[in-house]
Amino acid sequence: MSTPGDLLIAPFERPFMYRALLEVLLLGTLSAVVGVLVLLRRLAFLTDALTHAVFPGVVIGFLIAGDSGIVPGALLVAVAAAAGFTALVSTRRVTEDAAMAMLLTGCFAVGVVLVSRRESYTSDLTAFLFGRLLTVDSTDITVTAVTAAVALAVLALIHKELLLRAFDPEGARAAGYPVWLLDLVLNLVIALVVVAAVRAVGTVLVIALIVIPAAAARLLSDRLVVIVLASIGLGVLGGWLGLVASYEASVRHEIRLAAGATVVLALVVIYALALLVAMLPRRSRGARSRERRQRRPASSRGAT
Amino acid sequence: MDRWSIMTGNAQAPCLTAPDGPDGAPSPVAIPTTAAPVAAVATALAADAIALPDQVGAVIPDTAIPGAAIPGTAAGESGGQAGAAPAALSLEHASIAYGRVPVLHGVHGVLHPGRTLALIGPNGAGKSTLIKAVLGLVPVVDGLITVLGRPPGAARREVAYVPQADTLDPDFPISVGQVVLMGRYRGIGWIRRPGRADRAAAQAALEAVGLAHRARDRFGTLSGGQRQRVLLARAIAAQPRLLLLDEPFNGVDVVSQDALLAALSTLTAAGTAVVVSTHDLALAQLISDEVCLLSGRQITFGPPAEALTAEPLRAAYGGAALEIDGRGVVVTRV
Repeated sequence: MSTPGDLLIAPFERPFMYRALLEVLLLGTLSAVVGVLVLLRRLAFLTDALTHAVFPGVVIGFLIAGDSGIVPGALLVAVAAAAGFTALVSTRRVTEDAAMAMLLTGCFAVGVVLVSRRESYTSDLTAFLFGRLLTVDSTDITVTAVTAAVALAVLALIHKELLLRAFDPEGARAAGYPVWLLDLVLNLVIALVVVAAVRAVGTVLVIALIVIPAAAARLLSDRLVVIVLASIGLGVLGGWLGLVASYEASVRHEIRLAAGATVVLALVVIYALALLVAMLPRRSRGARSRERRQRRPASSRGAT
Repeated sequence: MDRWSIMTGNAQAPCLTAPDGPDGAPSPVAIPTTAAPVAAVATALAADAIALPDQVGAVIPDTAIPGAAIPGTAAGESGGQAGAAPAALSLEHASIAYGRVPVLHGVHGVLHPGRTLALIGPNGAGKSTLIKAVLGLVPVVDGLITVLGRPPGAARREVAYVPQADTLDPDFPISVGQVVLMGRYRGIGWIRRPGRADRAAAQAALEAVGLAHRARDRFGTLSGGQRQRVLLARAIAAQPRLLLLDEPFNGVDVVSQDALLAALSTLTAAGTAVVVSTHDLALAQLISDEVCLLSGRQITFGPPAEALTAEPLRAAYGGAALEIDGRGVVVTRV
């Protein structure tokens, strides 16, 4: 018999699972922190746009230099896209949804067209879109670790300016802050996260890693510090549980579950639980204030 | 309905309210601005909570009556001061434009340290634009704006801006204390973290607006008026020499309005120059030393006794009929 503890730890005695866990913990931490800023700035849409834009970069990098070309290709396109989106938004022309949607699907189509010319079309496409979490090697982990260190250091250094810009952009401008520069830096950091996650979870699933832990954490607290810590905790927890579930299902029950997608599903479940937790106390809080309201007219009636 | 009124609240404190604009769109805050200032002004007068400029109390009963306005002593005063202290804000025939679209022209006047300037005019008159130009966010295409002896953008460290509270997201997970601390950011500089002195200054600023006990609450849980006070506290924490407020009294309850006025009078007493845009003519009359009446151009710039009279008001708000009824004036537009 295996104890629950074994269940959660035993899978990671295998080297490929251990590497996958390391990768997921790094990505979970990084994307959870960046996710809080994405949430505060309401940049989920832009993040999604970046993931779409990065896709052709991944494909082109792979076509030119094989596996080792993926990250440089993604990085190049992601940086260009982040700069482009910043410029677009600062001229305030990004409100045209249709044009934006066209641009995104256009980028995506370029990637698909390029990859469709290869014989291993389907498996390559799957790998680019959904990642290959279980085959990450130590180079991938190093790339993710370095990316995470750079991105988190940047956020730590300018978090107060980013906070002011997110809360009160007009006030930030009035105080003389270069808002466009702050926006560019944050967009570049988001682009870095997308690039770091490309090999492991692909361009489609990374948006879940960024958005879900932060959104769940926001449900649990109103305090920024708590939200950041909870987001990291939930992101890491989702990665861990997702890997375990995928491993257990595949090895013990012979049900093949794609690791990356299972991690995303674990995060969705965590979000649902957070939603439940957030609703319960609120309802009782509501009930309490309702009781108070009902009591007050009664007492005033008594007074008259 | 295109009806707006300038009405008298009580004998001591005429309450003048202006409509949002010639388009006749009803202001969402029409009711509070009509009702609240009466009580607020009355409280302020009774409690002597704010340092009243001398001429206001003396002139109020007459100011609203056309022709009765005396070219005030205040003009002479400010003229005398001009040589002594450097102006906090100097506007010299300034024209302001967004891109190629001219928004405001012919703005001319001087605001000295410790004095209050009220910007009055219908919506779209250019009040916010003038504030943005003083902040250096909108270019001056003609003439000159000088802020504390420097070009607008160069003086930002000594200028603080208070936006309207309802432009900020009430769901944003940030505490009142954190918001006020933001006023210190510019002084702290990039990368460095707030220190003990910054926290003390933020706390003192929050006390100045009477909200020290709410420091740990989330900003969005406060009432609109309290949020406006927090934003004023943020500006106070920056210790500015020039303070710019965009419609700070819109939708603000009496308690918060009194708190705002008290904090502002403390600031001006300490030498800070204040520019405040408002729809509330009675309030402008009460708190301002100078009034700048705008409507796409400057109608007039001068002491409230001169500026808030029938002729300039009619020029700013359109061709309105004017009825005089005792001490009050009712302006009706049919």
